Amino acid sequence: MTLRFPFPVRSPLRPDLASSLHRRLSIPSRSSSSPTPLLSSDHRPPLFLRPPAFAASRTDLHDFRRWAESLALAAGPRLSASDGGPDAALLRRELAWLVEDATVAAASESGVGEELRLRVELEELYRLWRARIEERRPFQYIVGCEHWRDLVLVVKEGVLIPRPETEMVVDLVAEVEGFEKGLWADLGTGSGAIAVGIGRMLQEGGRVFATDLSPVALEVARLNVERYELKDKIELRRGSWFEPLRDVEGKLMGLLSNPPYIPSSHIPGLQAEVGQHEPKLALDGGEDGMDHLLHLCEGSASALKSGGFFAFETNGDEQSEFIVDLMSMKLGNFFHNIKMISDFAGIQRFVTGFRR
Amino acid sequence: MAGFFFLFVKRSFSNPSRFLLFPKIPISCSSTSSLVSSSQTLARSPIGSGFNNVVGGGIGGFPRVSVPRRFSSHLAAVRDLKTADGLTVDAIAAKDWPILGESESDWRSHAAAIAQSIQLIKKRMQWRKLIVRLDQMSAVLNKPDLWDDPVSAGRISREHGELLSKMKEVNGYEQELLEHIDLIKLAREENDEELEWESMKALVNMRRTAKEKELEALLSGDNDSCSCFIEVQAGAGGTESMDWAAMVMNMYKSWAQHRGFVVTIVEEMPGEIAGIKRATIKVDGDYAFGYAKAEVGVHRLVRISPFDSGKRRHTSFAAVAVIPILGDGSTRYQIKESDLRIERFRASGAGGQHVNTTESAVRIVHIPTGICATCQNERSQHSNKASAMAVLQSRLDQLEMARQAQLNAEHTQSLTDISWGNQIRTYVLHPYRMVKDLRTNYEVSDPDSVLGGDLDGFILNFLSYLLDKDEASV
Ligand SMILES: C[S@@+](CC[C@H](N)C(=O)[O-])C[C@H]1O[C@@H](n2cnc3c(N)ncnc32)[C@H](O)[C@@H]1O
Repeated sequence: MTLRFPFPVRSPLRPDLASSLHRRLSIPSRSSSSPTPLLSSDHRPPLFLRPPAFAASRTDLHDFRRWAESLALAAGPRLSASDGGPDAALLRRELAWLVEDATVAAASESGVGEELRLRVELEELYRLWRARIEERRPFQYIVGCEHWRDLVLVVKEGVLIPRPETEMVVDLVAEVEGFEKGLWADLGTGSGAIAVGIGRMLQEGGRVFATDLSPVALEVARLNVERYELKDKIELRRGSWFEPLRDVEGKLMGLLSNPPYIPSSHIPGLQAEVGQHEPKLALDGGEDGMDHLLHLCEGSASALKSGGFFAFETNGDEQSEFIVDLMSMKLGNFFHNIKMISDFAGIQRFVTGFRR
Repeated sequence: MAGFFFLFVKRSFSNPSRFLLFPKIPISCSSTSSLVSSSQTLARSPIGSGFNNVVGGGIGGFPRVSVPRRFSSHLAAVRDLKTADGLTVDAIAAKDWPILGESESDWRSHAAAIAQSIQLIKKRMQWRKLIVRLDQMSAVLNKPDLWDDPVSAGRISREHGELLSKMKEVNGYEQELLEHIDLIKLAREENDEELEWESMKALVNMRRTAKEKELEALLSGDNDSCSCFIEVQAGAGGTESMDWAAMVMNMYKSWAQHRGFVVTIVEEMPGEIAGIKRATIKVDGDYAFGYAKAEVGVHRLVRISPFDSGKRRHTSFAAVAVIPILGDGSTRYQIKESDLRIERFRASGAGGQHVNTTESAVRIVHIPTGICATCQNERSQHSNKASAMAVLQSRLDQLEMARQAQLNAEHTQSLTDISWGNQIRTYVLHPYRMVKDLRTNYEVSDPDSVLGGDLDGFILNFLSYLLDKDEASV
């Protein structure tokens, strides 16, 4: 039995938005609006946004699935045992999502005919899956997107794939009184995940400055900001941490950051999907992983206005404790109400607090 | 209270004036055009008083002008409709007039068929229980301190309104029948062939729609119109049963899709070798629960096992539970945020930037009851959490309904409540081929079509069996 995916439920875009997006993406000279040339070789839009320009028979697709499943079943145990990579069950789910993104759902439902419409050539599907298994290319880079909160964010090589843990930063912000009308900064925005999550909740007067050092990150963030029509709410700025925010110093209602926090010594042992494919600039936090976090803590006092809020993601328990101490002891004159917050795996993942 | 009273008085005053002008036009009847056009004839006719019951028992040809102030008298209007010469629907049915084909122009035959349908519809709706319930609600609504608790007052008055309109619809139908009988008799007296022909035609139409209404009445339970979750769990017996559970789940997916429902997989625990240990799907659409509730219980499979090299016959079991997803208007279990523990499911290691995974399953535990829900099939943790939350809410609602012992409680058992002894259907693939429902004895000799989702026969049979068996409840 072929599974029918309830497409409308999954699509996070309003129909009008989706169609305008489609229009925008179907114009070939779209790149004229992107300021930085792409570093990655793959400058095509994510799979699910490409036009269904290809066709394959049901049998062809079935054969692909069978082949891909057998690859997954054979490789899964090895991958998960070697470095905590995906197991067979996870790979099979990814396969289902790959097919979901690569095919046109409506056609597969009504399809009396044998032809299915595809967004990539069938051979390309084979290549993509091979890269997933053999090169350990992250699934999210393969399909070009990551489902994060209720968003579908464009991602590609050169930008960190937003993590599920980070979703909670948006919930933390939503609890801050009057957040809707404040000025916020998302430092090291990457794909723009946090900024877009918050930008969508802001009202008149509310704004997010999203910064990053990486041009690729900023370019991807721009795509996501445009996709969710938040150009008037989110301003992207390039530069190192507080540098691009001089003009709003002392005016910010909130500082948010998920800075690189992995200790340098851990980098070589990372899961292949992370260590071999995601940008080091987004991961490496220096010797004990805290270089950037400490820099952010120290800069917060002057960046935030009185009563302002900060939330930082950390590597977990030890780093969080260290930062809580720092903010409440050494910097205790500036901050109060410092808290650690756990993620759903029970790891103290975030530190939050307020500027006095 | 004030708000209610006002509304009520206002409505009651506007109607009697109409009645004084045209005492013969029934008020709540969904008149066919033929009825409207014939009202003149009626107004001239000498048999007026026969229609009095329509407005609640007027005397001597005049409708009651005094305003019915209390809700219970409103209810009186919904009972005991009669023709001019005192025939009720039950009396018509009791006459045992032979029911001929629709093409025969014999009004007694049509009337008998329609009267039977009305009786069946009322039985299926559990008419007597509804009347008791309406009375109870009216009593509550008449309490002076009703609005001290505005939330419950609002709910009761809404339920009261819904129930009343549901019952009035049936009464309207009943009344339509009685009026056409009156009209036919009248037309005969006055030799008005056109009028007689029109009413006869109307009766034939009613006979046709009656069949549809009988079906609709099968789904008139409290939560029948809701969407639902369907859960399937493999019984003892390892791979064998897990494979069977997957087959059962696929049967429901196909059934739901063919019915035009939207199916979403919420949770799926695959078996080690094949099939599923347990899975939950969400079935979205009107009356999904009303139909699917007929499937609750244990489904048994007999076949030559594809997993047994010895090719022996195996018996496997799978349990099915169905949970309604209550609308926002209903009484829902109030979940306190602080009572919840939300956990990442199957998380290990450092997490965060260290890990790339597409696994973002979440489990939510409701600490006071120990009830939990998991979702792993969405593509973001946020969505998994939202889905798990919806499942949890429905499970808690179900618990609450069971606690309040509401009408449908017997259909809403959770998987843990379903005893493996409660077998409802057997699917035999070998040595002969047959699917038989053990409750209704309904059977089909083509298991493939049933496993492919062709379940409506079983479902409708069970629903009518359930509602039609119990004579006493009418
Ligand atoms: C762990 S990623 C977080 C990305 C995104 N906020 C998220 O949560 O998915 C860290 C980000 O910080 C950026 N970054 C690294 N060094 C930086 C610096 N000195 N100034 C600004 N951004 C920096 C990286 O390019 C990367 O996008």
